[in-house]
Amino acid sequence: MQFELSQIDKVYVSSQENQVFGAKDVNIKIHEGDFMALVGPSGSGKTTILNLIAGLILPTKGSLKHGTEDITSMSLEERTKHRLDYMGFVFQDYQLLPILTAWENIEFPLQLRGFSKNEIKERVDWALAQVGLEKLGNRFPKQLSGGQQQRVSIARAIAGRPQLILADEPTANLDSKTAQEIIELFLKLNKDFKLTFIFSTHDQHLIDQIRTVHYIKDGHISETREHHV
Amino acid sequence: MRGFFYLVKFSYRNLFRAPKRTFIMILSLSLGCGFIIWDLNFAKSGSTEIMKDFLSQYAGQYHISNEHYYTEKNKKEFNIFKTMSDDDIEDKSLILKSTKRVNAPVFISGEKKTLGVLLTGIEVLKEKKLSSLYKVVTVGRFLDDKNEKEIVLGKSLAQKINIGIGEEVAIIGQAVDGSIANDLYKVVGLLDFGGGDLEDSLAFTQIHSAQELLSLPENKYHQRVSFDMETEELPVLTNLAVTHWSMLLPEIGVSMKFVDNFTWIVSIIIVVVVSLGLSNTLMITFFEREQEFTCLNIIGAKASWITWSLMVEVFIMGTIAVVLGAFLGFVATSYCNYQPINIELFTGGKPIIMGGMTLKPLVRIYSVPQYYWKVPLMIYFFLSLTMIYPLSRVIGRSKNAV
Repeated sequence: MQFELSQIDKVYVSSQENQVFGAKDVNIKIHEGDFMALVGPSGSGKTTILNLIAGLILPTKGSLKHGTEDITSMSLEERTKHRLDYMGFVFQDYQLLPILTAWENIEFPLQLRGFSKNEIKERVDWALAQVGLEKLGNRFPKQLSGGQQQRVSIARAIAGRPQLILADEPTANLDSKTAQEIIELFLKLNKDFKLTFIFSTHDQHLIDQIRTVHYIKDGHISETREHHV
Repeated sequence: MRGFFYLVKFSYRNLFRAPKRTFIMILSLSLGCGFIIWDLNFAKSGSTEIMKDFLSQYAGQYHISNEHYYTEKNKKEFNIFKTMSDDDIEDKSLILKSTKRVNAPVFISGEKKTLGVLLTGIEVLKEKKLSSLYKVVTVGRFLDDKNEKEIVLGKSLAQKINIGIGEEVAIIGQAVDGSIANDLYKVVGLLDFGGGDLEDSLAFTQIHSAQELLSLPENKYHQRVSFDMETEELPVLTNLAVTHWSMLLPEIGVSMKFVDNFTWIVSIIIVVVVSLGLSNTLMITFFEREQEFTCLNIIGAKASWITWSLMVEVFIMGTIAVVLGAFLGFVATSYCNYQPINIELFTGGKPIIMGGMTLKPLVRIYSVPQYYWKVPLMIYFFLSLTMIYPLSRVIGRSKNAV
């Protein structure tokens, strides 16, 4: 598995004179087991790069590949299917479906993928166990704390054993103690199952514990640092 | 198939997202559905009941006659009124279901003056069994089968020619052979149609007396009248004409059709108004979930899946609403069957006179099965239209948001 962004530009055009670079000459390679962050202030372009990797938007220039597959040549529906099959997502505000229980929220993408009933049960129970919420599966999101909701969101992302997990500001809405617990959970999943994570964040506490950090400025990777954690 | 069931389950669960709002939407739709079913039942059974009451007094459901009996030429030359006999009817079961009549326009002369009336000779026993004409005799009695040359006539006609029960009237007409027909008849009863035109223009006698007056052979008569109100289909006969009441009384037939069509138009307007309100509520509901749709798309739900889930959600809601609505409509209809509606409520207490007869004011409503599927279908149709705008807006917006 390798996600590769080569010489990616993403230009937002509001008028002929007014063109803004969301991403400029971005080159990133993501390997299995990577634990990577895109760091920068608001508007720097880190969410744009995350959206490009997910195939939610297409680049104006450059190539975006998953192995030998060219994501840019896929249709909208194909890119959605590609996300479902290979990616997991963790959001800043959890984005759990309020009408489903924690168990059912995790089940949702597995149902879309068409797994069998037994396989779904096995995967959901496994994911819940990994995030330490085995006993809270039948609770609705509003019956859970912020940290617990984020754990459910992580369980939903990992249940399909994706090749890449994209996490957009996953600790931004959490208190420092809960944020640290969530970071430790990410580290544990990365270590135990070689799950690949790419974060968009400006949480210094999280940045300190990440191996590869790309600093983004005006859509461009201004610096890359490797940490030994 | 499992994917479809999951979609249905997911859509069903979404109904509980805002239970009060869902309840109000279902309630408004089901009340609309229930009212429309009740309203259509009321219009149909009301008009049918009124017509049955009206027709059973005199006109009947359909007439069997010589194929030229009702033609314009025949009307102008009354003295050669086309006749028929039982031998002309192949299906003898029709003879049991109908009663024969002899008709002739005649002059009736009392103490004071002479007036033109339609004299009808009837089979007394059969008429009593099939029609409700005998019930309209409120003074004196109905004709006696064993007697001859008795006559019952309209109450107001009797007043105009100053004739009372037990007195004799002279009838003058033209026999089928062209000769002058005249005889004396004993008044035995007066008909009370509620003061309408029929009271001035009708008189009835025994069929044999009418045949004798008009020099008609005993086996010849003008028409058979069927009072079988339940059968909608008319018999098909060769060499004989079968004429439905709506052809004989076209103005009333058109009025009934108008009432039926108008009720449908009102029903469609109700559904459109409810649908517009529903469309607005759906749009608000969908917009509130816009961010969620974007998230669903990010985690792998295709736009088509999201669209289907919303459509199924609305259809589940619609199905609950129409089932509940059909039940409410049935309950309301059944109640009005048990407790008839007094139509004088709609006329300020005044009697309704139609075709010269006063109609009974109490109408029992009964269920017409076709409305229990036609109305839900109509609601489903408009519900589909209702969804188009909110769905296209929300899907378009969530794609842009991505």
